[in-house]
Amino acid sequence: MNIRYMLIVLRKELKDTFRDKKTIFSSIIIPILIFPILVLALGSGASDMLEEEKRPIEVAIIGNENTSIFTYLKKHKNIEIKSYTNPEKALKDLKIKAIIKIDTNFDETINENKTVNLDIIYDESSQKSAMAKPRLERIIDEYSNKILEERLKALNIKPNILNVVNINTKSVTIKDNGFALMMFSMMLPMLLTIWSAIGGIPAATDLGAGEKERKTLEALLTTKASRVSILLGKYFTIVIAGIMGTLASLLGFLIASKLNPDFLGSGVSLPPSSIGIIAIFCVGLSLTFSGIELAISFYARNFKEAQTYLTPLTIILLIPAYLTMYLDGRAIPEVYFNIPIINIISIIKEVLVSVINPLHIFIVLLWTILYVSISIFITVRMFNKESVIFRN
Amino acid sequence: MLIELFNLTKNFKEVKAVDNISFKVNRGEVFGLLGENGAGKTTTLRMLATMLKPTSGKVLIDGSNLLDEPEKVRSKIGILFGGTTGLYDRLTAYENIEYFGLLNGMDKREIKYSINNLLKDLDMNEYINRKVGKFSKGMKQKVAIARSIVHDPKIMFFDEPTSGLDVTSVRMVHKFIEKLRKSGKTIVFSSHSMKEVDKLCDTVGIIHKGKMAEVTSLSDLRNKYNDLDLEEIFIEIIGDKNEH
Ligand SMILES: Nc1ncnc2c1ncn2[C@@H]1O[C@H](COP(=O)(O)OP(=O)(O)O)[C@@H](O)[C@H]1O
Ligand SMILES: [Mg+2]
Repeated sequence: MNIRYMLIVLRKELKDTFRDKKTIFSSIIIPILIFPILVLALGSGASDMLEEEKRPIEVAIIGNENTSIFTYLKKHKNIEIKSYTNPEKALKDLKIKAIIKIDTNFDETINENKTVNLDIIYDESSQKSAMAKPRLERIIDEYSNKILEERLKALNIKPNILNVVNINTKSVTIKDNGFALMMFSMMLPMLLTIWSAIGGIPAATDLGAGEKERKTLEALLTTKASRVSILLGKYFTIVIAGIMGTLASLLGFLIASKLNPDFLGSGVSLPPSSIGIIAIFCVGLSLTFSGIELAISFYARNFKEAQTYLTPLTIILLIPAYLTMYLDGRAIPEVYFNIPIINIISIIKEVLVSVINPLHIFIVLLWTILYVSISIFITVRMFNKESVIFRN
Repeated sequence: MLIELFNLTKNFKEVKAVDNISFKVNRGEVFGLLGENGAGKTTTLRMLATMLKPTSGKVLIDGSNLLDEPEKVRSKIGILFGGTTGLYDRLTAYENIEYFGLLNGMDKREIKYSINNLLKDLDMNEYINRKVGKFSKGMKQKVAIARSIVHDPKIMFFDEPTSGLDVTSVRMVHKFIEKLRKSGKTIVFSSHSMKEVDKLCDTVGIIHKGKMAEVTSLSDLRNKYNDLDLEEIFIEIIGDKNEH
């Protein structure tokens, strides 16, 4: 091994890689764009729902219109009564969000101090109708409470006798919008791990199989530089490409949060030590996967074959990312810190919710060092095998 | 002796690609390795260039054992492959050549000096700073030649360097080999064309199915088969071997 030759290879490969429009596109442009696009798409959907919450609910009312409840609903600012000859169809077409059925003897039953029935018919398969249901229930409850108060008054009982315990809740963390927190604690670890691991794939494809397919590898192997120097130069190029991809996707994340502040939340900020820990493990992931990717790429006969072998890596990564998506950073099972990939996601999740557990960090760091060593070992072995390098 | 092969053998599983061959090449000699497709020429040259490990046998290059000092051996050799020439399309001709100069231990100033000399010899001034992606085959072959020789090696290996080239490019490659020979380089050259070998080489080794059928100077060869033309001599020799 000779550092000088390794650096010559690294410098050349970086120049070559970042002159490749395909690599720039898939390693930098795409990761920058994904989150802004997501936020624009999701964001418009989410604000649509928020709008819906504020608008009056369109309902059709069936039954006795000469009742106090009908008058109450008609006057309520959050209710808009519509009339259709076929209310069921109107509900299906979502022209109304619900149908309210009022008993003929509604007021009489109430006056007799009895319980009266009222039906709300809604469509569970429609999100807007389903959202209207709890709002309608609240509105009807208000009416119900008013009647209740009158009944108690008539019996000379103070209404607050019904309140035994008054519960006050307070959260220890600053209240942020739930969507932002979800994005932050679910999407960010996923994003960081996936890009750190697969961000180098386009470069790896070109540096291994591409070099073989172009027939430049043979000439390269006849230079004074040793195989290990050449290999490590290529390896670190892929690592750097992977880190660039991760940084690009982080940039995309920041742009997304600027586009829609609700997305990331304003109160989210991490101390430098947390960012440092996250960075170390992302680099560890990148070091591990870059080696595997380069080994696979050298094994492949040509560019196409390398792509075929490397694409499933993305899916392999998506599985742990998906499995840990709903994991709470404050309650991660111990065993998770010993499962590859999941352990790194777990550490990132912990750090994001400000849990810094030195033992966990130490365990995962040891594992990461082991993964990186195995990965480099396999790659060097692969590169020294004649049957792999001259496989055609 | 600059290059000496002793009972060199290479097996790929059950295939005996190179089977117990021996020959010597003197300083300043041009040695032609002649054989049909699949005869074992590329495998032999790859072993001489330390890219493949021999299954058995020994090679001395300028006094160094190939297996013991591969890096030292590599710094003394240049190699040019025929067929589709491998270059980095996104780098300029200059950058392609410079990369191999650097990897052979030169500094940038030495490389610049060397490339300037090669520019005249190979007549590529016009496109030296253009990216090679859109070059013609002939232009690419010139860049590949310059790349293989930028570090001024004592020994040059050419593996069918003219295969797939047009007539003008073939002539250019031949002229360049002539020039190297005049400047005193030792050259091992593989070809499937007796004519080409006759034109360029002092000595020929005829390789057939991995075995060395005959090693002889071209003048001796012609004396021995004086009434036959070159291709017929070749057929005669390998036909002989086929019968055994
Ligand atoms: N990497 C390899 N793996 C397996 N067999 C090979 C390999 N390289 C060459 N061979 C076989 O070795 C024999 C000699 O090949 P080669 O040296 O390329 O011949 P030539 O260059 O004279 O055409 C052929 O039968 C070829 O199929
Ligand atoms: Mg060949």
